[in-house]
Amino acid sequence: MDRRNFLKRLAATGTGIALSGTVGTLSKAHAAKGGKEDFGEIKSLKVHCISETSWFDNATLGKDIKAAGGINTNQYDVAYTEENLGGYAALVEVEALDGSKKKYLLDTGWSNDWVDYVFAKDGIDKMLQSKEIDTLFISHDHIDHYFGIESTLKHQPDIKIYFPGTSMPKSFELLKGADFSATPGCPKNSVPHTGELVVTTPDKLYKIQDGMALKFFDCPATLQVRGENVLYFKIKDKGYVTVTGCCHPGILTLLSHARRNFKDGNKNYGCYGGLHISVFENWDPKFDDIIKGVKSFNMQKIGCNHCTGWIWAEKAEQSGLPIVHGTDKNLSYKKVGSLSRAKTSNVYLGNGDEMVF
Amino acid sequence: MTRTQDRLFWLEERQLAPRWSTAVSGLVNLAALIVAVAIVWWVFFSIEGIFKLYTPLLGFSMVIWTLLIILWQAQLFDFWPLSRGFLENAHPLSKGAVLTLITIAVYLLLLFGIVWFIIGRLGITYFNWQSLAKYGELGQDMLSTRETASWAMLCLSIPFFLVGVWFMLGIGKDLFHELGQPKFGLANWLFVAVIAIPMYVIFFHPHLGSMFYPKQIYAAVPPWWESIAQTNSAEYTVGILFCSVIGVFLALNLWDGWPFDLVGRQPWRFFYFALCSLVIGYVIFRIQLYIFDYLWYEAYVGGQNEANFGWRYSHTVTMANFVLVIAIIQNTFFGPAYEKMNRIVGSIIKTVVAIILGLCFAWAYYNWGPTLLGVTEGVSHPSENASAFLILIINIVMIQDLFMDRWPGYQLKK
Repeated sequence: MDRRNFLKRLAATGTGIALSGTVGTLSKAHAAKGGKEDFGEIKSLKVHCISETSWFDNATLGKDIKAAGGINTNQYDVAYTEENLGGYAALVEVEALDGSKKKYLLDTGWSNDWVDYVFAKDGIDKMLQSKEIDTLFISHDHIDHYFGIESTLKHQPDIKIYFPGTSMPKSFELLKGADFSATPGCPKNSVPHTGELVVTTPDKLYKIQDGMALKFFDCPATLQVRGENVLYFKIKDKGYVTVTGCCHPGILTLLSHARRNFKDGNKNYGCYGGLHISVFENWDPKFDDIIKGVKSFNMQKIGCNHCTGWIWAEKAEQSGLPIVHGTDKNLSYKKVGSLSRAKTSNVYLGNGDEMVF
Repeated sequence: MTRTQDRLFWLEERQLAPRWSTAVSGLVNLAALIVAVAIVWWVFFSIEGIFKLYTPLLGFSMVIWTLLIILWQAQLFDFWPLSRGFLENAHPLSKGAVLTLITIAVYLLLLFGIVWFIIGRLGITYFNWQSLAKYGELGQDMLSTRETASWAMLCLSIPFFLVGVWFMLGIGKDLFHELGQPKFGLANWLFVAVIAIPMYVIFFHPHLGSMFYPKQIYAAVPPWWESIAQTNSAEYTVGILFCSVIGVFLALNLWDGWPFDLVGRQPWRFFYFALCSLVIGYVIFRIQLYIFDYLWYEAYVGGQNEANFGWRYSHTVTMANFVLVIAIIQNTFFGPAYEKMNRIVGSIIKTVVAIILGLCFAWAYYNWGPTLLGVTEGVSHPSENASAFLILIINIVMIQDLFMDRWPGYQLKK
């Protein structure tokens, strides 16, 4: 190789590197498009934790999933240990600017035994029967948020349901009345849904009432589930609040979506729900990034439980995030999760706790 | 014992020729590859198969280590202990079976014997998922710990791969050439390990030390790259170093080794080779990040899926692997088609074909993979990593090429 050829080849490499430097500037134009949405305001919001204990022991659930082939197995193919099952559900009470109040149900748990128990404990069954609650939001069709659908429908078969468009075919069948209970822990529904079904898609914002909207995010989750419905609220003089089932899109995705797409979207007041971070109490350095990222949004109230991961909540609080503590009400329930029993701290909003925004 | 300097390696000596026309031979090999990959994937890796090893990190760590062992056998140990007579005369299927069994045996001995069983039980907890579950705190169950241990093994493979490539290709026989086999292979391997292990400690151990609560700061410094990479995750170093390995193989398969052949005299060749691989790797890494920024906006700290810095770093490896698989198949099965072309023209055509078909392959994987392979839907799925499948393909091409003389489409020239 003579010197001239060497230099020519070196120049070719240099041109490639220089070219690479110009590609990034395109993204700025891409990021600039899109308008801001305004879906109004509410006066206040109260979220009651009907149940956040989707299962009572992580290791037992992990063992069931591992035996079935791992975290990417179809959720309807896993044989679950039935005595370990609970479910996730929350009662959302919205106070409009004129003082009127309306109640909504977010998710419907997993084990019918457990969901029937917690519904009765909080009077949800009667609210459904009297149609005090007439809308159910299914955040996503994961085992612990949706498999208990019969417990809601048996009280109000014609309840209006918002349902993720990416749900599994079997989940749609379940809604119409199907029985998958031959596999332990899998659901059955003997009360077909007869009411309005809103199948949500990612291309629009569903305004529920003034100051409250539902946004569907098409995002990956475990056990072959995709997509999640997220509730956004704008509270007068405070800012935006998100209420989530699992928050599979990621809390920072939700905050960034508000910032990019909603009027005054940089005012993020708080959140409630599962944040899907250290789900099995395992840790990854990426979770430290989430703490750092959330801090940059200056939220005032963070209520977390369920799939957030106790460890994340503790570390988040230690780093200065405003984690709202729970009480010991959950200890009076007929079943208590192994983490709550360990009583490391009260960084979770537990079963029976409430959070007001 | 024959000194290494006194005879050619088997790969230098053997001459292969297409059994039929280049196109037919290449297509026959491609068909054989597809069948082999489908069988191996469904038996060993698919979550709907028998062994369900694609968890995904357990399967990923397995295919990367087996690929390394295949390359060591060919490039460092010259197929020791098999005799040259066996390599010359045995049927490719026999050679493939024997050498693949040796690969599996070495893998089990090295990874499950030494790293998992001995080091993981008596030295470093995170190399053994049972030790992690035993000594871990809240909720450290097997489902999580198996992934953690597999991630550690995967990370360990990367410096071994990069430094191994520097030695296998950047030094070749220039060091220890007075030794015969297996001394030559062992001497080089140990030299690789001497450099690779500190590299692992610097580039990956801080991540592993931060995988626990509280952080193991007395055993591992917190990830020092955070302010550069905007993430604590070692996916940053995985991205750069893995892309550097991919860059070397792209150069070999697309550009006949250019620009690594620009410096010939040692020790400069070695240092130039190492530096060049890092520069090319960084360019591949950085260009893709710009493209990702364009496709998915800028990433942000703590973002999820496509918005996550770590995922993007890791995805540079995945996308580069899609191109690499095509580049290797093209060069190995259809290489003679380019031999009569001008070197520069041939390189440009090969590069364009590899990039276009690589992107088509990626599109097909993400659209049809859930149906054909049983993988989960979505480009940025947190428990999905296409590189496991891609490196499995490379493994099988390497077995076909290095162990089986590219059978059935090719044969040895007698």
